[in-house]
Amino acid sequence: MKEFKREIITDIGIDRVLDFLDEKRIKRAIDRVLSKESAARLKAFVQTCVHCGLCSETCHHYLSHDGDPTYAPAAKVKMTIGDILEKDGNVTKEDIKRYARIAFTECNLCRRCTMFCPFGIDIGYLISLVRRICGILGVAPQFIQDQVYSHMSCYNMLWLKQDEWLDTIQWIEDELRYEIKNARIPIGKKDSDILLLIHGLEAKYMTPLLMNMLKIMLVSGVDFTLPDIDGWDYTNKSIYMHDFETMTMVTKRHYEIATKLRVKRIVITE
Amino acid sequence: MFSFDYETLYTIVRGPLVWVSFIAFLGGIVYKILYLSLKAKKDKIIYTYLNFKCILRSIIHWLCPYGSLSMRRHPWFTFVSFIFHIGIILTPIFFLGHIELWEESWGISWKGFPNFISDILTITTIICGILLLIRRLSLKHVRFLTTSKDYALLLLVIGVFLTGILAHYQVVLDYRYMVVLHMLLGEIMLIVIPFTRLGHMFLFWLTRAHTASEFQGVRHSKDY
Repeated sequence: MKEFKREIITDIGIDRVLDFLDEKRIKRAIDRVLSKESAARLKAFVQTCVHCGLCSETCHHYLSHDGDPTYAPAAKVKMTIGDILEKDGNVTKEDIKRYARIAFTECNLCRRCTMFCPFGIDIGYLISLVRRICGILGVAPQFIQDQVYSHMSCYNMLWLKQDEWLDTIQWIEDELRYEIKNARIPIGKKDSDILLLIHGLEAKYMTPLLMNMLKIMLVSGVDFTLPDIDGWDYTNKSIYMHDFETMTMVTKRHYEIATKLRVKRIVITE
Repeated sequence: MFSFDYETLYTIVRGPLVWVSFIAFLGGIVYKILYLSLKAKKDKIIYTYLNFKCILRSIIHWLCPYGSLSMRRHPWFTFVSFIFHIGIILTPIFFLGHIELWEESWGISWKGFPNFISDILTITTIICGILLLIRRLSLKHVRFLTTSKDYALLLLVIGVFLTGILAHYQVVLDYRYMVVLHMLLGEIMLIVIPFTRLGHMFLFWLTRAHTASEFQGVRHSKDY
């Protein structure tokens, strides 16, 4: 690993959490992901790779670092999953920090390498397993963790509480009344055609966007409604940590609301 | 008592070791495929999305020379590696001397290549193998990936072909010992195929099947 040279970066989401961890917990998380959750694909992919290096030139991280071999897709797998399998899960905290760095910041899971691999080895999937291990341990960049915890507590990515959501819609309605007479934004209306789910940012920072959308919806006369409870945000940031539990919870919430309001379709913005 | 004379060695590599290697080779492949396909049931997304049409399209593209974008991007590597693989697959099956051995023991035979074609195939395979070795050593990103096992496997394959042609022309070592060495290396190769990276021979079909179905069937994008 002598060729792996990186500037040292501190991130409280990674460094502070690592202080609380010990080797036993790390081993447990690795066992959970690599032996219980992933089965055939991991084994087949890891065993098939013949180290031909055809994936290297497809990776924008590799290209933008002037062909540094440690940024090549197969090399990133070798330094993470390969390293874990070689050490049989007995890895140190420094190793976990390195894995987190590679998996979160040096691979986008774009799967371009998969398209150029003669065997179709899904490197994005292998790196996502590393993200999952780090996610279970809670070792992830603070920015990602924060959004995931926000999803866990209030089903949106920006810590917007339920009363703040209702308040936002109310004042958008007030503003709209300058342009549309007696504008009324349906919220929690039953039996409508469309359930409109919006992006978290549109409710918190980009309300003019949301206002324009609602204006169009109102004027066009579509029978739509917004949710009146948490679960109005269709984003699901937990995918970046591969936190399937939170992902399921958020998605399930959307369908529960749709069922409760008896809508025909769910429409999302952006 | 065991002794290293030619007769004993030949009897061993011609008799029990052939059985051991073929059983390990076929049994290993069957075991690996069964193991993986049973394990794949745990990954709920694999069998759900398998799509035969997509798999066929993808495999045809990847088996035809220059059928995929990746191959067109690396024309020389594709050229060398295709010849290397064709040589590895065809030569052992259609070499007259091998067919002779099959007929001697099992009474089955098929039409083989004339000797000069086998010779050309063998020599090009060796040259291509050496070129691949040079590529491994010279490209920085490939050298970083390569482990000692990769070198060993490539050298093993080259070794099998090299001893084969040396035995055929009866040069360097005593011809009889060269044949024994050739058979021994070949048997080792057969045994290790299912358990090492040489297993890409049969794993190719499995990984390709999954990725083809996912890319074409689910994402509606090409994987070739």
